[in-house]
Amino acid sequence: MFVLLKHLQHTRREIALPAPSRRGSLALRHVDAGSCNGCEHELAATANPYYDLQRHGLNLVASPRHADVLLVTGQITTRMADPLRRAYEAMPEPRLVAALGDCAIGCAVLGDPAQLTGPLEEILPVDLRIPGCPPNPRQIADALLGLIGDIKEHPTLPRASPENSNTPPANAAGLHIDTEGAKHA
Amino acid sequence: MSSRERASVAALTPARIERVTPPQWRAACERQAQAGGRFCGLFASDGAQGLQVNCIFTRARQDHVICTPVPSGAIDTLIDLFVAAGWDEREAHDSYGLRFDGHEPLRPLLEHPVEPGAWTVPVQGHDAYQVAVGPIHAGVIESGHFRFTVVGERILHLDLRLFYKHRGLQVAAEGRPLADGLAYAQRACAACAVTNTVAYAQACESALGLAPDHNLRRARTLLLELERLYNHLNDISAICAGVGFAPGSMAFAAFKERAQRLNQRLTGHRFLFDTVALASSTLRIGQADTRAAREELRVLDDEQRAIWRELRFAASVQDRLGDVGTLTKQDAIRLGTVGPSARAAGVRQDTRSESPRLAYGEFTPAISERATGDVAARLDMRQVELVQSFAILDELLSGNLAPGGVKNLNIGASDIGVARLESPRGETVCSVQTDGNTIWRLHLRTGSYANWPSVAYASRENLLPDFPLINKSFELCYACADR
Repeated sequence: MFVLLKHLQHTRREIALPAPSRRGSLALRHVDAGSCNGCEHELAATANPYYDLQRHGLNLVASPRHADVLLVTGQITTRMADPLRRAYEAMPEPRLVAALGDCAIGCAVLGDPAQLTGPLEEILPVDLRIPGCPPNPRQIADALLGLIGDIKEHPTLPRASPENSNTPPANAAGLHIDTEGAKHA
Repeated sequence: MSSRERASVAALTPARIERVTPPQWRAACERQAQAGGRFCGLFASDGAQGLQVNCIFTRARQDHVICTPVPSGAIDTLIDLFVAAGWDEREAHDSYGLRFDGHEPLRPLLEHPVEPGAWTVPVQGHDAYQVAVGPIHAGVIESGHFRFTVVGERILHLDLRLFYKHRGLQVAAEGRPLADGLAYAQRACAACAVTNTVAYAQACESALGLAPDHNLRRARTLLLELERLYNHLNDISAICAGVGFAPGSMAFAAFKERAQRLNQRLTGHRFLFDTVALASSTLRIGQADTRAAREELRVLDDEQRAIWRELRFAASVQDRLGDVGTLTKQDAIRLGTVGPSARAAGVRQDTRSESPRLAYGEFTPAISERATGDVAARLDMRQVELVQSFAILDELLSGNLAPGGVKNLNIGASDIGVARLESPRGETVCSVQTDGNTIWRLHLRTGSYANWPSVAYASRENLLPDFPLINKSFELCYACADR
């Protein structure tokens, strides 16, 4: 046991992660709606000693009831569309939806159209897009940390209800485009 | 041609195809079993020639395919001969409407009827009740539904309902050029991307009468072992997490991260995506990079062995593993269990020892010293295989990796190609039926697909709170099975 704990201590010292900024926290709930398992591996990897997302107050929670953000992976299958909707409905407001990976964003979808429901944004309002096939843990971490920052800057960002979803879908950069669009208008 | 070359060409002979009529179907399959053939999958296909069903066997390093047309839409079942054919027949029924006479009740597998009685095994008795879990699970886990019938905390029976992630990849690939099929095989599963794409490429090459050259064999073997390496490190981390041992879980998660970063450096992708091509390899790794990779792997091996020793002596870990989720050798053979889970039960079968299209040389399958078939044995098996994989990788990286190709065996083309490969989870069988240069039918029977029924079987008589641990000790992909 001593060797193991020393090893972990040494590993952490070598990785030398910067101190967390302590600017907030988000409770994340993941739903796999038809992925290849790549996004799951990379999302799980954000907890390993090289990234340790929990330091920043980003926690993966067991129930949508506890969640601020729904992280959705995969091309949405017909069989998962309903459980996905129900997970979203179980979340307290305000809530956000993040499309994790190219499939959830709707890029390079492969499969039989009869088995797929269509892109996530046609089912739920998407607030954040994290591209990549799969996005690596660093990209996932940066996008989620950016989301905490964006919420701080734009307190109205979390959607109060799905009716607000008529606005054009935003992505990580799009969050700013949204607000600028409002200014121009 | 030298005798050695002749022998190596003989080892590369494509699957022997035996075309029979529906009344001969069952007897032909039974003959294969009596001759020592091992059942490797069954699938239906539909095309211009009408509905047909195919069964794959392997014996003495030779694959056999029994095919029959099914004009009536019904054929004799094989499940009493091969329990492992259960899922295959249910899938063929759901996808093609094929009926199997004698398979009663033929429960749906891909289809998801609402009424539990339509898809669960009836269990009756005093105090028996059901616990439903999923399709969405509490952690970062793929989607699938488990229906436990329990008394108190003891599991009497487990019904699996997977295929929530069924994307119809095999159907979508039909009619596409052969080279396009790689993308569909790759999308089936990230964690087995190399296995599935190499299996697909080998099936096509076998159908076309092509054989990989030295460089292509080495490149693919390297990729397959890099894939096994990060998967096995992940599995040990997952089992530690399953018993709530965070230090072990984090140490092996960090090892997995290092293995994936090495993948990124060597091939440009952490999951080795897009590294496999049809009939060629573009992988080029120079001397400086192979030397650095070898050194990196040597350090990683030393460190993981040291931490493995720590796990062996952590009583709080070891006490949770024995006699949990036991699968006996007899049951493993009967259920057609493959891969580390079968070897942990004492079944000495590893498809790497019969892969003439790869560079494994004289590979000897290993079994863990305590082949008890429980979680402890499955954990041990991962470490035994890590030792093998580090050794194979060290050998492969002792020289440069150069682009490779294929040579024509001049044996003519066949309209069906079969490939069997050892994925991190067990034998994956890919069958491709071709129509000229396009895909008529693609069928992928992955190690995960073969092993899911064993997870349900091994869970019986165990405590419900131990199920996550049992599940993690098999660590199967849902994506691989659902496709």
